[in-house]
Amino acid sequence: MTRLPLYAAASAAFILSGAAVQAQEYPVDTVTLITHSSPGGGSDVFLRELSRYLAPYLGANVIVENVSGGSGASAMARLAQAPADGSIFYATTPTFIYTSLLSDPEYKYTDLEPLVNFFIDPEVIYTAADSEFETLEDVIQYARDGRGQWGAANPASLERQALEQLKAAADVNAAVVTHEGGGDLMINVLNGTLQIGVGEVQEIQSQLEAGELRLLATFSEERLDAFPDLPTVAESGYDVVVRKFRGLAGPKGLPEDVITAWEAATQAVLEDEEYKAAYEAGNLRAEFIPHDEYNAFIEQFGTETSTFLKETGVIE
Amino acid sequence: METIALTASYLFDWHILLAALAGVTWGIMGGALPGISPSITMALLLPFTYTMDPTGAIVLLASTYIGAEYGGSVPAILIRTPGTNAAAATVIDGYEMNKQGKAGLALGISLISGFYGSMFGLAMLMALSGPLALVALNFTPMAYFALGILGLSVIATLSGENLIKGFIAAILGLMIATIGSDPVTGGTRFTFGSSELLGGIEPVMIMVGLFAMSELLIQASKRGADERVTSRPRIQFPDWKLTKRLFPAQMIGNGIGTFEGVMPGAGGTIASFMAYNEARRWSKHPEEFGKGSPEGIAAPETANNTVAETALVPLLSFGIPGSNSTAILLGGFLIHGIVPGPMLFERSGEVVYGLYAGLFAAIIGMVIMGFLMLPVCIWLVNRPRPYLNAFILALILSGIYSIHNETFDLGIMLAAGVLGFFMRMLRFPFLPTVLGLVLGYLVESNFRRSLVLSGDDFMIFIDDRISLSLLLLAFLFIAGSIGKHVYDAFFRKPKTVSES
Repeated sequence: MTRLPLYAAASAAFILSGAAVQAQEYPVDTVTLITHSSPGGGSDVFLRELSRYLAPYLGANVIVENVSGGSGASAMARLAQAPADGSIFYATTPTFIYTSLLSDPEYKYTDLEPLVNFFIDPEVIYTAADSEFETLEDVIQYARDGRGQWGAANPASLERQALEQLKAAADVNAAVVTHEGGGDLMINVLNGTLQIGVGEVQEIQSQLEAGELRLLATFSEERLDAFPDLPTVAESGYDVVVRKFRGLAGPKGLPEDVITAWEAATQAVLEDEEYKAAYEAGNLRAEFIPHDEYNAFIEQFGTETSTFLKETGVIE
Repeated sequence: METIALTASYLFDWHILLAALAGVTWGIMGGALPGISPSITMALLLPFTYTMDPTGAIVLLASTYIGAEYGGSVPAILIRTPGTNAAAATVIDGYEMNKQGKAGLALGISLISGFYGSMFGLAMLMALSGPLALVALNFTPMAYFALGILGLSVIATLSGENLIKGFIAAILGLMIATIGSDPVTGGTRFTFGSSELLGGIEPVMIMVGLFAMSELLIQASKRGADERVTSRPRIQFPDWKLTKRLFPAQMIGNGIGTFEGVMPGAGGTIASFMAYNEARRWSKHPEEFGKGSPEGIAAPETANNTVAETALVPLLSFGIPGSNSTAILLGGFLIHGIVPGPMLFERSGEVVYGLYAGLFAAIIGMVIMGFLMLPVCIWLVNRPRPYLNAFILALILSGIYSIHNETFDLGIMLAAGVLGFFMRMLRFPFLPTVLGLVLGYLVESNFRRSLVLSGDDFMIFIDDRISLSLLLLAFLFIAGSIGKHVYDAFFRKPKTVSES
């Protein structure tokens, strides 16, 4: 058997460790950021990209670990039982709230303490470029006349919630069809099975550039910088705003100096020229939310989601 | 032609050659370890690709995939344990050949079939990406449901002599597939409050339990004599006569592998089972299947290696990963800021042609490395039984543990082993269980999704043309199999040795 992969591994590990910068004032030397997504998944790419730039601003080495299993249940259990010394954090997306509510695991999002928020990913409504729908109103009208078919990537997702809310706000008859991921959904929009799909811009970027998909509206509060002509859903007359957050959470009882260090480091790294170029290319929208506000934000998000899931009969 | 010329220009780039060789070697090793799936093998490499140039990184990951799909057949033949899900169909005749002392030949057939499959798949990928992508695009949820049903129709063949037992085994698999989260509502079901079951049960745990663990239990329950057959200690390639005989089976594997590969979500496991089934249907020696038929190795091994190449079609054309392995490959692209999809060829053509060249090198590398590594494997399995069994137990326990680092998973695997032990005692076939487990979710989720689309109108399955044709095909297969059983029951022919 050859030793080639071992050499490759050793040299790559050497290069990686060389990039880390020495600790300054942060209470621990190494910070572990865990994600429930598997290598190559959304949160994994977010954390690994972040870990490249964060170390000098935070003053600690930053490593990423994948704790898959139970859509975040394992990761939450690990975090809730870890020491609150700033050595370990969990990359949070709406998934951790959905998992907490749907699966009722032993440790839930309420057992963690939200730290800060980094990004809000814009969610957009798109249709096939060769479809008859030019505006969101066309789609709503189609559903009003007969029956609409709208698609969301996953059953337990913010996208589905957004569509259910839109359906209620417009008071139309539409089937909200859930899929096994954004790719699956996109195929069904492209082949005309569905009139619209909802997703993040980054997921459909290539098809947008190739002119195969067309954007109809965005669920964000304001219009997007990248698409200034794209109306928001709220502008179109349906009061639905979706904020898909991307931040960190830690064990309960985080010390004050850790929180201060992160608030400073987060703001600084989001301003970093190189990092900015990288995340803007990936269509992420920086939205720093400080610790206190973030706690309230997550709490409100949890309450809204819980109400939605109860109304749709998914949980009791 | 332009594609070939551009691809050839990358063939002598030592970065790419090195990445291809390293990837395929690592892949064979990962694929050969039970429990380490192709996607885990690839995921382990992912962190190291950060510092590589994009083409090298993608070639490394894609070559790993090819190597792993081949590597999975090695333990399937030698220790009755599929190293990957897609090698499950290879167990049937591979292990039989091994028991007859023909392990070297079985491994040779698997290697050469993997080579044909990969080469054919690569040719398809390079020449027909566009048209194949169109086929995938037209697959609606209804069509996926029908595709799953077509896959399940293979149960009739896999059941062996007793169809009823086969159905019971298949239903068991379908039941296990319902554990976890509901595909439409997202709620949890059949988890009995256990957080470990939230994500469902991975087929590999059941498979390793049913095949390998039950075999260990059977071995342990036997007293005394070591009935091991000494295998010929080196790899043996098929002679001309056998090559001619294997050719139709390999063509079937190529065709089915191409088709299943381009469908996101279908994948290598279904492809290899269907290829096995079709190879048996069209074989001149169908009676040998299940008793050590070389075609029974050639067909599935060709199919799963073809899939490893054509699965890149939806990834490169749409940016849609059809399986865990291609999802990791997508991650590899994204890490380097390359977004696969319709703009890929214009934006990053050099990566695509470099990838083709790397895949070509990896396929050649697979044959060389496979040839060099097999004698070691054969030597290993020829150690005295007690040592070998202890080694296998350690191997499967560590393999299963490594999936989620959960001891809970070991319990699942051991329980499947005990189940397998009793199934064998009572002469129930395993393969329908595996098939039900692999296809259950695909069938259920697309069935329910279609009904959400239509508002509970079943006509949607007939209105969709692809769905209708696949369902008709499945019906023909099932009717044919049942007809044959009935015919055999009433006009049972005395068993004669068939002319060759």
